[in-house]
Amino acid sequence: MLKLFKKSKDKIPKSEIINEPKEPQKPAVSKCGKPLLLDNSRWERRLHKELMSLIKEPPPGVTVDTESVQQNLSEWKINIKGFEGTLYEGEDFQLLFKFNNKYPFDSPEVTFIGSNIPVHPHVYSNGHICLSILTEDWSPALSVQSVCLSIASMLSSCREKKRPPDNTLYVKTCNKNPKKTKWWYHDDSV
Amino acid sequence: MESVEQDGEQVNRDDLILQQQREIEREISDSTPLVSDQLPLTCLTAEYNGDAVFTAKIQALASKYKYMRRTRPDGNCFFRAFAYSYLEWLISNKAAYDKFRQIAETSKDKLIQLGFPSFTLEDFHGTFMDVINRVNPENPGGVEKNQSELHTIFNEQGYSDYVIVYLRLITSGKLQEDAEFYQHFIEGDMSIEEFRHQEVEPMFKESDHIHIIALSAALGVGVRVEYLDRAEGGTVKAHDFPEGAQPMVFLIYRPGHYDILYPN
Repeated sequence: MLKLFKKSKDKIPKSEIINEPKEPQKPAVSKCGKPLLLDNSRWERRLHKELMSLIKEPPPGVTVDTESVQQNLSEWKINIKGFEGTLYEGEDFQLLFKFNNKYPFDSPEVTFIGSNIPVHPHVYSNGHICLSILTEDWSPALSVQSVCLSIASMLSSCREKKRPPDNTLYVKTCNKNPKKTKWWYHDDSV
Repeated sequence: MESVEQDGEQVNRDDLILQQQREIEREISDSTPLVSDQLPLTCLTAEYNGDAVFTAKIQALASKYKYMRRTRPDGNCFFRAFAYSYLEWLISNKAAYDKFRQIAETSKDKLIQLGFPSFTLEDFHGTFMDVINRVNPENPGGVEKNQSELHTIFNEQGYSDYVIVYLRLITSGKLQEDAEFYQHFIEGDMSIEEFRHQEVEPMFKESDHIHIIALSAALGVGVRVEYLDRAEGGTVKAHDFPEGAQPMVFLIYRPGHYDILYPN
């Protein structure tokens, strides 16, 4: 069989991912026989819908890395530009959104990634962001788009580029998941 | 973020707090259904270890109400109790049901006008309408079947929580619409805007008078709350929202929690 692929123009076939056949799950049914669970992929449908809208009508300065999403719907990379007339003008940043199957009831896990983490009093050097809508004040009626807008506005209103005062200790001791940090939201003015 | 020294090792205190919080949450969800079956009111007595004040008050309450339903104490209890109780009442009140369905149907456009994003609103409104339609008094099977359908739906987190999100949005919309009036209810220097985003729209945030007034006013549904606490006097104080309205929903409040009541 190997011989078949000796010629350089022959391409190695793409590996096919064979999924284990899933145990057929008995759907929950209400007493009148209608399926009760809306379905397990409801969170995926919501994410699809948000993705389409973000691609079609992105807020200014925001672009989705569609390639990253195609590989994995539960992890999105989103590019965000520093607005003109702000301290971050001309800078490019990248956000990573992670979703689980309880989205939109669970908030997405959002961090800055890549080589340029904005220097901001609410952004730690490991990319963690202290922003109340990402934990305590998250509502299922918020969306990826509204999170992007909040982060953009947080950057835009910054007056002085500096790290949070407890950056060194935090980065050393925090959990990898910023949602596992009990944040103190004490200062909304920056 | 804080860290503590423990056995010479740095342990993240946040992790410990969150771990404990999760354990408490799991314990609550394992032991209490989202909405329980009907129970006799006297089941409350056991919780107060024969305390004379409470026992007398529970007895007084039991003379007015035949049953109660417990709701899971997860911060959403007011909204869940309200929705369950009102829909259950509507099952056998066709005219009121039709009127409410109309209000519910048009509520989405109103929220969009108030500036809520139609995009996320649609899902919640869709499920809310779906639930309302599932208990239509005209459904074959009648009252009994609708009641059991309602109970099933409300104990299915997927449905139950979607209904709660939508009621939270309606409440928030009302606060925005009549901000000037509701501003007086807010303690401290929080703005209505901040209050809506921090105390109304997020799930699991507990409800206060202001939530009850706004929701009952927005949907035109009278709510009577019976307050069971240590206050003086042998009777339980009741409060109607909005003031003077004919109550259709009856709730019992014990500090931090709402359950459903069934009047005689």
